[in-house]
Amino acid sequence: MNTTRRDFLRVGAGAVAATSAVSANSNEGFSSIASGRSAAAPSGDEGNMIYRRFGRTDVHISAIGVGGHHLGDVPTLDEAVQLVHEAVDAGITFFDNAWEYYNGKTETILGRALRDGRREKVFLMTKVCTHGRSGKLAMQMLEDSLRRYQTDHLDLWQIHGIVYDNDPELAYAKGGVLEAFDRAKKEGKVRFVGFTGHKDPAFHLRMLELGYPFDSVQMPLNPFDASFHSFEKQVLPEVNRRGMAALGMKSMGGTAWGIKAGVVQAEEMLRYAMSLPVTTTICGMDSLDVLHQNLRVVRGFQPMTQSEMEALRARCAPTAADGRFEPYKVSLRYDNPMTRMPHGFPFDHTQREVTEMLEKADGPWLVPETTPETSRR
Amino acid sequence: MVDQRRQNERSQVTPEIERRCFIQAGLTSAGTALATSVLPSPIVSAAVPPQMTNSGADQIPRRPLGKTGEQVSIIGVGGYHLGTVQSSDLAIRLVQEAVDAGVTFFDNAWEYNDHRSEEWMGLGLQGRRDKVFLMSKVCTHGRDKKVAMQQLEESLKRLGTDHLDLWQIHEVIYENDPDLHFAKGGVVEALDEAKRQGKVRFVGFTGHKSPAIHLKMLAHDYPFDTVQMPLNCFDATYRSFEQQVLPELRRRGIAALGMKSLGGDGQPIQYGVVRAEEALRYAMSLPVATTICGIDSLDVLYQNVGIARGFKPMSTQEMQALRERCRPSSGDGHLELFKTTKKYDGRVGREQHGYPSIAELPL
Repeated sequence: MNTTRRDFLRVGAGAVAATSAVSANSNEGFSSIASGRSAAAPSGDEGNMIYRRFGRTDVHISAIGVGGHHLGDVPTLDEAVQLVHEAVDAGITFFDNAWEYYNGKTETILGRALRDGRREKVFLMTKVCTHGRSGKLAMQMLEDSLRRYQTDHLDLWQIHGIVYDNDPELAYAKGGVLEAFDRAKKEGKVRFVGFTGHKDPAFHLRMLELGYPFDSVQMPLNPFDASFHSFEKQVLPEVNRRGMAALGMKSMGGTAWGIKAGVVQAEEMLRYAMSLPVTTTICGMDSLDVLHQNLRVVRGFQPMTQSEMEALRARCAPTAADGRFEPYKVSLRYDNPMTRMPHGFPFDHTQREVTEMLEKADGPWLVPETTPETSRR
Repeated sequence: MVDQRRQNERSQVTPEIERRCFIQAGLTSAGTALATSVLPSPIVSAAVPPQMTNSGADQIPRRPLGKTGEQVSIIGVGGYHLGTVQSSDLAIRLVQEAVDAGVTFFDNAWEYNDHRSEEWMGLGLQGRRDKVFLMSKVCTHGRDKKVAMQQLEESLKRLGTDHLDLWQIHEVIYENDPDLHFAKGGVVEALDEAKRQGKVRFVGFTGHKSPAIHLKMLAHDYPFDTVQMPLNCFDATYRSFEQQVLPELRRRGIAALGMKSLGGDGQPIQYGVVRAEEALRYAMSLPVATTICGIDSLDVLYQNVGIARGFKPMSTQEMQALRERCRPSSGDGHLELFKTTKKYDGRVGREQHGYPSIAELPL
C-alpha cells in the first residue's frame, strides 16, 4: 500500500525533532515540510509529493525540482517534453533553468512542455546571465526568457552564477542587475528574486551581507560539501536566519564522481540533501529513468537522523578534503561558457555545450565583449 | 574564430553600461560598503627588498637568501620551461649562458616534463655546478618519506650532483596537503633526514593556489628556509600572496621566492594590460630573494638578464600606481588561472589526489 501524503507529513514532522539540531541550522526549512499544498495547486499524483514553504512567503513548492540544464541533455525534444509532463503530473512544481543553458534551448523546451495548461501548475524559475553587465541587458534577457517560456511572468528570477570573486560587487553596482530586479518586480514580470552560485561560500555571504532583500538563495549541498568550502556550514544557516528560501543543488556532487568511486550511493546523497533545512533540492534529470528514481526517493522519503547524517559526512570527509568530488568549486568545469566570457575566462573546447554554442553564428551567446583588456586588443 | 564572432556581435546586444564602467561604478558607488574586501588596506610596499650586492651596470645583482647566509641572483631560471624547449642542445646553451651571465639560482622539480627538465639542467651544469645555487622539488603529493627519499636520489642523479642547495616540497595546492605533508612518516620527515645526510642544505615549499594553504603550512612552525609563491601585480589585489604570505615570511625571516611574475602564461601581456618589463620589475621590487622566470628561448633569457642588470627597484609610488592600474582586471582571477582553475595543477598531484587528468579536466 502506498504511503499516503498525510503519513509522509507525519513522518516528516516527527523526524524534524530528531534532526533539527543536526547542523546548527534553523529548522525553519524542516518545519515547512508539513505545510500543506502548493499554492500552484498541482494535480494528478501530487498526493505523493512533499511540499515545503518557500521562505517566509505563503507559497509552497515541491521538495524536489527539475534542473534546467539537464533538459538539454535529453536526446529529443519529445522525450524532454514527456519528462516535464511526467514530472508535473507527479506533483513536481519547481522548475529550474537559465537564460544561457544550451544557447537558450532548455528554456524553449520547458516552454513547449508547459504550454498546454501546465504553466499554471508550476513555480517557474529562470536565471539571468549578465555576469557583471548591465541591468538593461538583464531586462533584454528577461524578455527572451518569457518569450521562450511562452508566459508573461516568472515565479522566480535569480542571478545566475555568482562564481567569481568580484561578482557581488558587479551585481550591486549602479546600473547593474539588481536594478533590473526592482524593475521586473514592479512591472509584475517576476514574483520573487534570488541568486545562485556553486563556487565559494564567501561569495554567497558577500551577496547577503550587501543587503538586497532576496527571496531565495541557491547553492550546492551534499555530504562532500559539508567538509570542503562548505555552503552547508557557512551559508545555509545565514539564509535560514534571514528567512530566505534555501534551494539545494548538486546533491550528487555535480559529476557524481563520488558515486562512481563507490564512496556513496545516489539515493543516500539525495536523501542527505533533502534532509537539510532547504525548501527544495534541484535534480538534474536527463532521462525518465532518473526522474522515476528521484520520485521513488521522494515518495519514500524520511529525513535522515542526526547520526545518519553525521556518519555520512564522516565517510565523505577524507575524499572531500581536497575537493576531488566537487570539481565545480575548484575548476572552471561548471562555469557555463557564457558565464566565463564576460569575465575573460577561457572556454573549455572539450565540452559539448561549447561546441554547440560555437557552431551557431547568431546565438544569444553573442553578448558584448567587455573585459577591459580585450577592449585594448 | 571566437574573436571574430565577438566582433560581429556588438551590433546585436549593446548594453548601455559595459563591464569596465561597471567596475568603476562599483568602486565608487558601492565603495563605502565594500571597503574591506574591494579596497585593500595600504599594501606592503613599505617593505623594501633585501639589500643587493654585485649590482654593477653589467652584473646581475644578488640578494641574501633569508637567514641562510647565502646570496642568490635576483632572477632565477625556471626548470619547467627549460624542459619544454625543442632540443637538449638549446637547453644546455640556455643554462650555460645564464650561468655565464651571472644567474645563480636554478629551479627545478622531480616531476617536470617527465624528468627531462632535471636531465637537461644537469647536462647544462656540467662544469658549472659549483657556480650555482641549485634547487629541486620533491613530489610526494601526500605520499610517504620513503617515496621522497627515492625521488631525491633520482633528482641528484639527473642533476649530476651529490647535493642540492635547496629542496622544496612541490605544489602545496590542495587543502589537505599541509596535513598530509606533516603527517607522521610524511615528506617533512624526509626533509630532516636529507639535511642530516648532507644531501640537501636548505628546505622549503612551493604552491600557486591559495595564501590560506601557505599559511597553514607555516602554522606548523617548521624551520623552512624558503617559501615559493606567485607574486605579480595582479596578485597584489586578488587572493594575495603578497598581502597575506609575504609579511608572515618577513616576520619569520624565511626567504621569499617569487614566481609567475607574468601571470603564469603571459596572458596579461598579450592582452596589453601590462608590459613584460614592468611586470617583471614589479615582482623583483617586492621583498623577495629572487624571482624565478620561465625561460624557453635565448631571446627571453637575454631580455630577463637585461632587466636584471643594473636593476633599480620601483618606487613605492610606481608600485602602487601599477597595482591600481591592474586592479580592475585582477578582481575575478582570470589573469591568474593558476589560482582559479585546474590548468596549472600537475599530473602527479592530480593522480595522488584522485582528480581527472589534464586532458579530462583541462581547466
